[in-house]
Amino acid sequence: MPLEGAAAVAVTESAPSAPAESARLLSNASAALQLLSAAALMLPGVLAAPVQAADAATERVALQMSRHEEGRRDLENIRSSLAPIRVDVLQGSVNLRALDRLRLSASYSQDTWSGATPVTTAPLVADGNRAILRNSPQGVVVAGASPFVNNTLQLDAARRPLRTQGATPAVVDERTVHILSSASPETRDQLDVRTAWDWDDATLEGASGVSLENDYESAWGSVNARFDFNQKLTSLAVGAGYTHSRLDAILDPDLQPYLTRSAYQDAITRKRDSEILHGSRRDLTANLALTQVIDRETVLDMALGYTRSRGFMENPYKATSVLFVDPAQAGRSTVSADMRALLEQRPERNEQLAASLRLARYIAPLDAALHLSYRYSEDDWDVRAHTLEAEWVQPLPDGWTLAPRLRYYTQTAASFHVDYLVSEQAYRRIERDGSGRDIWFNPALPQTLYYRSGGQFVDAGGAAVDPGLLNLQPRFLSFDPGLLPAHFSSDHRLAGFGALSAGLSLSKQITRGLYLEAGAELYTRRSALQAGGGDSGYADFRFHTVSAGLRLDLDEARLRSFSRARTLAAADAAHAHHAGHGDGAHAPQAPAGVQFAHVLPTAGDFMLAWRSGFSRQAGALVQGTERVSDREVVDTACAPQAPCRFVPTSMNMRMHMVDVMYAASDRLTLMLMPQVMVMDMNLRELAGRPPAVPGVHEHTGIGGHSSGSLGDTVLAGLYQMGALGNGAVHLGMGLSIPTGRVDQELRRMFRSDGGRMHFDMQTGSGTWDLLPSVTWLGAFENVQLGAQFSAVHRLHEGNEAGYRLGDVLQASAWVGRAWSNGLGLSLRAVQAWRDDIAGDWRVFNARMGPMDYPHNQGGESLDAALGLSWTVPAGRLAGHSLALEWSQPVHEDLHGVQLRRRGTLSASWQLHF
Amino acid sequence: MKRLAPLSLLLFAGALAGCVHVEPWERGVLASPQMALDAMPLQGALRSHVYTSREAAASVNASGGGGGCGCY
Repeated sequence: MPLEGAAAVAVTESAPSAPAESARLLSNASAALQLLSAAALMLPGVLAAPVQAADAATERVALQMSRHEEGRRDLENIRSSLAPIRVDVLQGSVNLRALDRLRLSASYSQDTWSGATPVTTAPLVADGNRAILRNSPQGVVVAGASPFVNNTLQLDAARRPLRTQGATPAVVDERTVHILSSASPETRDQLDVRTAWDWDDATLEGASGVSLENDYESAWGSVNARFDFNQKLTSLAVGAGYTHSRLDAILDPDLQPYLTRSAYQDAITRKRDSEILHGSRRDLTANLALTQVIDRETVLDMALGYTRSRGFMENPYKATSVLFVDPAQAGRSTVSADMRALLEQRPERNEQLAASLRLARYIAPLDAALHLSYRYSEDDWDVRAHTLEAEWVQPLPDGWTLAPRLRYYTQTAASFHVDYLVSEQAYRRIERDGSGRDIWFNPALPQTLYYRSGGQFVDAGGAAVDPGLLNLQPRFLSFDPGLLPAHFSSDHRLAGFGALSAGLSLSKQITRGLYLEAGAELYTRRSALQAGGGDSGYADFRFHTVSAGLRLDLDEARLRSFSRARTLAAADAAHAHHAGHGDGAHAPQAPAGVQFAHVLPTAGDFMLAWRSGFSRQAGALVQGTERVSDREVVDTACAPQAPCRFVPTSMNMRMHMVDVMYAASDRLTLMLMPQVMVMDMNLRELAGRPPAVPGVHEHTGIGGHSSGSLGDTVLAGLYQMGALGNGAVHLGMGLSIPTGRVDQELRRMFRSDGGRMHFDMQTGSGTWDLLPSVTWLGAFENVQLGAQFSAVHRLHEGNEAGYRLGDVLQASAWVGRAWSNGLGLSLRAVQAWRDDIAGDWRVFNARMGPMDYPHNQGGESLDAALGLSWTVPAGRLAGHSLALEWSQPVHEDLHGVQLRRRGTLSASWQLHF
Repeated sequence: MKRLAPLSLLLFAGALAGCVHVEPWERGVLASPQMALDAMPLQGALRSHVYTSREAAASVNASGGGGGCGCY
């Protein structure tokens, strides 16, 4: 890359971001001159950057969280209380310049989603969504809708559904509805890495990534090149990629017995009670883009994209309803149809081509830009789509930018999309021989056939036989798949529809280099909005997406650190009391598992951090300090009237937290810490458990269960009290806002509700909590010492679900050693006390085992933790810190019956600027 | 699909022809953040992920890969 990159290198190679070092640099006049000229070169317009590449070349760190939430689907005759789909997304990315011309970037994203999805579409009269009634203090209420995908219904001679009610004549009712099924939370992780090499007029990039879900894994790689010519007024980009995806879908155990999956017999394997559908798919992609400066105020971008897909492209959780009409009813004015749900069947090949045109035009009187774009796409499945988008980007005073946006989308239906199918054949019928006699057989001797005619059973020789004595049963023939279309799907994504969405994005420069980006969008899917009109109105829905993120431009942040160091150095010269503040960036790093560890040293300082925690419980069940037997668990850990049936074999928790710190003054640091939590648990049946009771949730199949969503958000303030011994003491007070959930539910199984998941699987406390702490940080030569008391106190009697998590008290002390190359090592001891849960479930919970009872919570534990850290001492990435800590339980005394903790791994990245 | 490819190439060529020369020192406006083709890059990526799990249209930026099943 051109000048901009080279200039940025000059800035940072010689000017680490640490204020103290920058201040020392001031005495070096040539370095200062270099910095100033570099800063001048970064002013827009002074350098000739290619039009499109500026963003990709910026060294930056970005963190974003978003929530996507659907509205309820219209089920016509019943108001579903199944929670609609909700997706929480966490994204983090980093773009760095490793060498002068070598760029590296990585991004990670995690989605967790849950909610109701359509499994199939059926005539309304088939009554596919049945009310689930439940007693409540307010009387009998509709608690949900249960999917019934097999049923019998009446059709008229034209095969239109008939509504029959008692003695009244049947009326045609052609309304169609989705049949909804609930899904328990699932998580997807995606990691992408990119490497790019910049020449003066060209860039070559290699990229690859993986996306991991329980049931779907894909890996991809691509090569992209960009050429700038015509004095960088024109850029041409070409790219090609390959994606391989593998699917191992556990079929919905609640629906599996009612799904017709004969087309996939060879692709389904069985494991315990579960059926797993396997498939794989390959996508080859190519794209070509041209960006052209039209004049001083206009840029045009044209792109072509081609995708060639082969393999399994079905959604394994979607079925198409087929109404089988037995031909024996031919000629009748009303026929009875046998409705069955068949797993959808899509073609194994598709080729897609898309072309887009984007225009950005500067609107001088308002200093704004108008962005217009149009995209056309078509494929072998006959889906033709048009997208029109307009966005107005308006910079405002004080670093604000507002961008309202409108988008219209329309697509035609795939050639094989149907709401449902009618087939003039029986779903299943008794096989007959040439002379019309029913064929019967004895399953023990399937080769020997018997025939039934007029109530008489005979063998092949014509001799009469006794069917009871021979244990005979009729031989059934399934429907002929040849009489159905080769491909069919009622996935609403393949229906014809239109969509209108409106959004507003804003960005705000918080300080030099640090930007807040936030946005909201409302999206309405309407069949009637399809260009030319559509007829899939039953699938209409809305959703909204909200997001907030932080973007740190590292080049700008380095310049900020430098100019602040200079200001502070000047202030130091005038007022001696500021001396030493600049050393803050080199303060010893506390172990990764310690929260609220530092006060930022100077008013105006920022720190951005990403913290992750992974903890695992597994193995033996303990009561107090001793192992317990299954017998004891069954008898004592639950309730006398409802003995324990299941226990966890393992539980994993993953937490990712974004931590933004700002020094409001030299003593007061403010913190904002949103986080995302993902948990999973596996269960086993206890030996000697009581037998299953119909209507009570049982755990079956091979899948464990998982939960995940945005967790509780912490707002905190840290206050520097002053020196104590060879160190200093600070006080912290945090407030935990209950943005997490206590309503995560187990999915319905075999028509019995799962109810709320176990206490530990909920992603929030459900209460507002106070988090006080007091921390002492000290140092003797190269040895760092630290001690902290921290607590969590719940401010409410109970949460919405009826209970209150126990208060927590924690004492921790550590000793660390740092070397001049930035490496550090720490040892820490942590003693924690946790109260039992107060109160209990006020809402339905299946009470499967010890994890569902409040007395099996709390206890005390002692952990020993080993930590490693590295603060980059010099060079372009000076000031970035990485830390890792493993915390190993050495002693546990647990209340009730609980699973033993195996340990916690904490990891963090942080940058002070 | 066969009609689309040549048509687009024609457009590409047309775009090259019809533009004015802009000197490096005249590119101040073009380099301003509001003129970036992706003015809010974080949200742009998120939106395209949401759209592709809801709509059947193909992407022009197909070499991005990944995306997962989107099976809901």
